[in-house]
Amino acid sequence: MKGTYLGEFEEVVLLAVAILAGDAYGASITNEIEQQLGRSVNLGAVHAALHRLEEKGLLSSRLGGATAERGGRSKRFFTVTMAGTKALDTIREIRNRMWSAIPKPA
Amino acid sequence: MHWFCASHLVNDLEGDLLELFAQRVRTHGPREARRRYVRDVFSLMRPFVIKEKPEKYPQPTFAHPAMIRNYFKIAFRNLAKHKMFSFINVLGLSAGMTACFLIALYVHFELTYDAFNKKADRIYRLSADIQSSAGTLQYSITSWPFGPNLQSDFPEIEAFTRISKENYLFRKGDIKFNEEKTVLADSSIFRVFDLKLLQGNPQTALKAPFSVVLTESAAQKYFGERDAMGQTLLIGDNGDAAQVTGIMQEPPVNSQLSGEVFLSMTTHTRHYNTAVNEEWGNFGTTTYLLLKKGADPVALSRKFPAFLQNHMGRLLQQENISLTLLLDPLLDIYLYSKREADQSGSITNIYTFAIIAVFILIIACINFVNLTTARSLERAREVGVRKAVGAGRWLLARQFIAESLLMSFLSFTVSLVLSAAFIPLFNELSGKTISSGLVQEPRSMAILFIASMVIGLASGIYPALVLSSFEPVKVLKGKFAMTGSGALLRKSLVTAQFAISIALIIGTLVVYSQLDFMRSHELGFAKEQTVVIRPGSGNARNALKTLLQNLQGVKSVAASSAVPGGDNSQAHSKLENSRGEMQIATLDVYRVDFDFIPQYGLKVVAGRPFSKEFTSDSTKALVINEATVKLLGYQSAQEAIGKKFNQWDREGTIIGVVKDFNFKSLKENVKPLTFRLLDPWNSDLLSIKMNGGNVKATLEAIETQWKTLFPDRPFSYYFLDEFYDRQYRADERFEALFLNFAVLAIFISCLGLLGLASYSTIQRTKEIGVRKVMGASAASIVGLLTKDFLQLVGLAFLIAAPLAWFAMHRWLEGFAYKTNIPLWIFGVAALLSALVALATISFQSIRAAFMNPVKSLRSE
Repeated sequence: MKGTYLGEFEEVVLLAVAILAGDAYGASITNEIEQQLGRSVNLGAVHAALHRLEEKGLLSSRLGGATAERGGRSKRFFTVTMAGTKALDTIREIRNRMWSAIPKPA
Repeated sequence: MHWFCASHLVNDLEGDLLELFAQRVRTHGPREARRRYVRDVFSLMRPFVIKEKPEKYPQPTFAHPAMIRNYFKIAFRNLAKHKMFSFINVLGLSAGMTACFLIALYVHFELTYDAFNKKADRIYRLSADIQSSAGTLQYSITSWPFGPNLQSDFPEIEAFTRISKENYLFRKGDIKFNEEKTVLADSSIFRVFDLKLLQGNPQTALKAPFSVVLTESAAQKYFGERDAMGQTLLIGDNGDAAQVTGIMQEPPVNSQLSGEVFLSMTTHTRHYNTAVNEEWGNFGTTTYLLLKKGADPVALSRKFPAFLQNHMGRLLQQENISLTLLLDPLLDIYLYSKREADQSGSITNIYTFAIIAVFILIIACINFVNLTTARSLERAREVGVRKAVGAGRWLLARQFIAESLLMSFLSFTVSLVLSAAFIPLFNELSGKTISSGLVQEPRSMAILFIASMVIGLASGIYPALVLSSFEPVKVLKGKFAMTGSGALLRKSLVTAQFAISIALIIGTLVVYSQLDFMRSHELGFAKEQTVVIRPGSGNARNALKTLLQNLQGVKSVAASSAVPGGDNSQAHSKLENSRGEMQIATLDVYRVDFDFIPQYGLKVVAGRPFSKEFTSDSTKALVINEATVKLLGYQSAQEAIGKKFNQWDREGTIIGVVKDFNFKSLKENVKPLTFRLLDPWNSDLLSIKMNGGNVKATLEAIETQWKTLFPDRPFSYYFLDEFYDRQYRADERFEALFLNFAVLAIFISCLGLLGLASYSTIQRTKEIGVRKVMGASAASIVGLLTKDFLQLVGLAFLIAAPLAWFAMHRWLEGFAYKTNIPLWIFGVAALLSALVALATISFQSIRAAFMNPVKSLRSE
């Protein structure tokens, strides 16, 4: 199934949405990722990832909240769904298990 | 951004772009921000962005099968519902299409003359211009030595073949035929032309003397079902035995080579005229040259003068003439060459017919458009309802186009049937087997089908656009009236139709009056009650003449080498002119006996005709016509009498002058003509003048006499007047075709007018009702309705008359003797078209005028 696998960039985007909690839309997510990772990302790449995540059912979106800065255009807000939270948990669990499996230098 | 982005995404993506841009201007500065903006836009060009979100209600696809089925179902219902209207419409369109198809077949036939030869582009006919002090003679024939010598001198000539057509008598037991167009040909004919032998070897079939190749039908004629190969036929008056060495598939009709019986050229060159292969001056055969691939005909013909000097130099100098050889491309001979050819057509006729075809098609299309838009009132409601329930304009347009396609398909089917029925008639009319039937021509059928669909589409687009543009609200409220521009368009279309029809009527009448003029023109000789037979020359002819003169019912008999309306020889002549010099000229010659001039009623204006009392007449006398007198520069006919002449081994004096008579068709002026007494060994025609009495009995008596003298030869004869008028057969065909198409054009135009009249009467129903209530009479209402249309016809006449006059004036230029275009023709044309139009309209208008006003006013 498509839904089970998350790419590295998808994971970052999903985390960014979770961090922004309720204030996540294209521009803010891009800014968040740029600050967190310290590298510049394309808006197109972000939207592509958002689109895929929504298709996989890890995100949901609604329209709203236009500002003057956006030329009166509405924002598309993204929120993490239950499935999304679960997917993040699973990834974290896997990572933790792997970290703990690293043999510690004596 | 908008042009690639899906509509449901564009809004927030743009928002994001703008917001990021504003932030980056602040943090990174405008340049960096702009750069990032551009990068982001490009990064957004991704499949998911471009793809539209699926709609809740799926859009109908462009060509949904169910929808298309629906179009045609509705179209069918509409056709069936308005049977009269559909009938008129289909009838008009199919009449136009039929005419067009037939003309297209004809034009194609004419344009593909000789094109069946695969090597046609490399085949040339050798023509010659002979210049002497008498002028230039344009020959399409050359003498026998040219072909072989050209081939041996010039490597770029791959092959040559010489072709002559002569009259031979063929016999097989009791079956005998005079093959008037026996083709004498070199064996290389099969190398040059693509004639297919079914039996026999093409390399050798026509090599040996007395070899005969028959076409399938000719073989059938002589041998019936039996195998003709290897059989013997007797040829000529002496009955030389010839062997059948090949059976040929019928050559195409549109070819210079049409013929049934092919005889080897060696029969002629080795037996009948053994010297002819060396006689450079004996012009009498057509030479075709096949050039090698890539050979340049222009470069080749530049070498001809040296060739002529080399072979004929002395002869040309002796005769004091010069000769130019030319290469005529085979494909141009039929339509473009002015020289004499076995078959020749006229490119102007083809243009004329093509133009007529286009005109008729235009008329038919206009009709279609007119009739369809005229019904818009009726269908406006339908359009309104359809639009109200959500049909788009384009969808409606498609429906109407489907309807017109269906209509044109029906018309195509009808016109196929009509064409098939008319092809035999058309063949007869044009005098050629243009097509043996549509079934044999799947390719042209396919082309015609596509053409008819295009016609349907083209004439369906305008009504479709008009009908589909109605605004539903207005239409459904009943406040609907056609716009002025639409009415203007329809009116001008009808005017155009009538202008074309009137032009065709005028054309027909002019052609008719010219032909009538020619038929009744005083020719200057008596052509009535004269029968011409061809007994051949020599003593037998004289014996037959004596026998016939004594028959009851025969007034007199005259022998000659030619008769008016036929071919005659031309002779290199020297005559003393008014300055006392011997003027050289090539003149037409009639060799006649003592009875010819009196029997033909030729009027002697000076001197005397030939007479038995002067023995010197047979070698030293010449009679000329007035045109010759003029040529020699004499003031009066009397002056020419007694002047010297030298022609064809005879020297002597001019003894008489006859009044000019038209011995050729009236298309040409009377040319200078000379008469000389015939020699016993030439002149093979007898003209028999009969008393009024029983023509049939007399002919039978003549035949009986013929049988006693020539038991082996079939008896055939022709009447002089018919023979003479045969020269106008092409023009008569032209007239017949013109007439038919003019009638057709009028017919179709009337259908269109009928449509328009019924439309406008319906529109004015209420007006008529009110007028009647106010006390208008039926007559005044008919007048009211008719006036508009008669104005259109009048306008059409004003447009058509000068154009037709101009065109027909050009046509008449081709005749030396022509009638003036009489004014009554225009009157008749105008009156005729007005009457026809009136009859068509009155059908509608009278009905409207007698309608009860109560009904028409209550209609809401």
